[in-house]
Amino acid sequence: MHRGFSRVLGELGTAFLGGGASWWRVFHFGALALVMALSPATYDRENRAVTANQIYFTAWQVLPWFTLLAALLSLVLIRIVVETTMSYGLSQYALEMVVRVLVLELIPLFAALFVALRSGAAINTEVALMHIRGDFDALRRAGVDPLRRELVPRVIGSAVSVVALAAVSGVIALALAYIGVYGFSPWGFAGYTRMVGHVFDLQVTLGLALKTLLFGLAVAVIPITASLETPREVRLAPVAVLRGMVRLFLVLVLLEGASLAVKYI
Amino acid sequence: MLPEPQPAPVIPHAEFKAALLLALTLALISGFLAYVMYARGVFASTQRLVLVADDSEGAKVGMDLTFSGFPIGRVQRIELAADGKARILIDVPREEARWLRTSTVFTMERGLVGDTRIRAYTGVLDDPPLPEGAMRPVLRGDASAEIPRLIATMRALLENLEHMSGAESSLSASITNVQTVTERMKGRYGALAGVLGSGDNARKVITALDRTNALLASVGEVSAKLDRMIVKADERVFGAAGVMDETQKTIVQLNAVLRDARESLKKADAVLAEAQAVGANTRAATTDLAALRAEVEASLRKVAHLVDEINRKWPFARDTQLKLP
Repeated sequence: MHRGFSRVLGELGTAFLGGGASWWRVFHFGALALVMALSPATYDRENRAVTANQIYFTAWQVLPWFTLLAALLSLVLIRIVVETTMSYGLSQYALEMVVRVLVLELIPLFAALFVALRSGAAINTEVALMHIRGDFDALRRAGVDPLRRELVPRVIGSAVSVVALAAVSGVIALALAYIGVYGFSPWGFAGYTRMVGHVFDLQVTLGLALKTLLFGLAVAVIPITASLETPREVRLAPVAVLRGMVRLFLVLVLLEGASLAVKYI
Repeated sequence: MLPEPQPAPVIPHAEFKAALLLALTLALISGFLAYVMYARGVFASTQRLVLVADDSEGAKVGMDLTFSGFPIGRVQRIELAADGKARILIDVPREEARWLRTSTVFTMERGLVGDTRIRAYTGVLDDPPLPEGAMRPVLRGDASAEIPRLIATMRALLENLEHMSGAESSLSASITNVQTVTERMKGRYGALAGVLGSGDNARKVITALDRTNALLASVGEVSAKLDRMIVKADERVFGAAGVMDETQKTIVQLNAVLRDARESLKKADAVLAEAQAVGANTRAATTDLAALRAEVEASLRKVAHLVDEINRKWPFARDTQLKLP
């Protein structure tokens, strides 16, 4: 009994320490990737090509489809909000509510989830397989830094992707909100500008930028870390993907929750 | 066995496309930032306005100052002054500041739904413009604070109304009376019957009026006679041989009599003066008489004394007989 209890306690402690160490590796790798992405030395000829490829795959390819999807979603939400506020006689708040809900919250989260689903899962699997196959060791033996050649371009690609998707869809949602409330009349522009100035104060704008950037980093950094810490056995590859995606989802939700809490509590 | 990694597919113009995407994203973001800065009035030159309120509840940084429903300024800061009042610092763009004049009134009101609003009312747009950094009081109105008071007043009002409209209320009784009166008014004698209460009374009044008319006619005749009488009396009194004329003559004669009387009185006066002199002499004589009288009295006393002496020495009439019991 006593022995069993202490064993459970020991396992819990190990798990906690393991979890802590794992989160530490996430932060460490994230910081490293950010620094490398910002230093010009990273972008030699080879790396530029790899990064361009990553941006092409994660952002360029999905941009039209994602934009279309986000525009449809925005249109539906704008109609719902405008109709509802009108029926309650509160239509003067429709625009502000649409902008706050869509541009500040839903579209960045939607972009991050979309990139995570499409590229995050792919990166997770790919990196896990490369790790298990020993490709990174081979690269190291060939005198190439795998971090710089393979991993950082993926982080840059997903970050650019999230930011680009959120920016394009956000601007389109702003335009759709104008049309949804004022129609095609140009005379609502002054009031619209006023409202935008009212909503996007310094804290909100900085918070939106920071949140979107963190979303973009998390989408690549967390799956890569989860892949790298998996033991090098092929049967554990699905576990790596599973752990990476769950952790990524958790982080996205936590980031969104924290941003909401800071803004509204 | 793991599949061997395939060589990456060659993407045409990958770098150009990546650069294009980055450029598009950066352009969107910087354009949006510029738009937000424009919307927040970063590029507009502003002037400062300070509103002083007792209570800043509901006021928020970033809220609008409206004029005729148009936002013309934005709250920049809210602070508590040393005197315990709230100071609301508002930036008004210079081009909108022309709506604010020295006579502008500022209100802060709170609706049932939605934000507090700060409004400006300018009655006279020809007044001098509001100076930079002007400090103005703000009037507060709170709709939700007014409601309980309003409801209490309404309830009192409704109770009064109910009281007034009840079956036994004085208003209802008054209306019933008015109805009775108007019904009487509809009768033969009209409003007179309404005022007097019944047709009989009204008839009496009408008869009385007829008689009064007749009376007034005879009074008219009497006064005509009286007029004639007065004319005659006038002739008798003030005419050529009237009473007044005779009286005047009598007064002239009376004057002559009075003059005679005045002469007689003067004579009497002289007689009285003489009488006064006689009186003075008499008084002197009276003084001498007193001395004479004293002397006579002294002589008499001496004679009485002498008689007493004689009586003592010569007992003529005295009863000296001794009688034995």
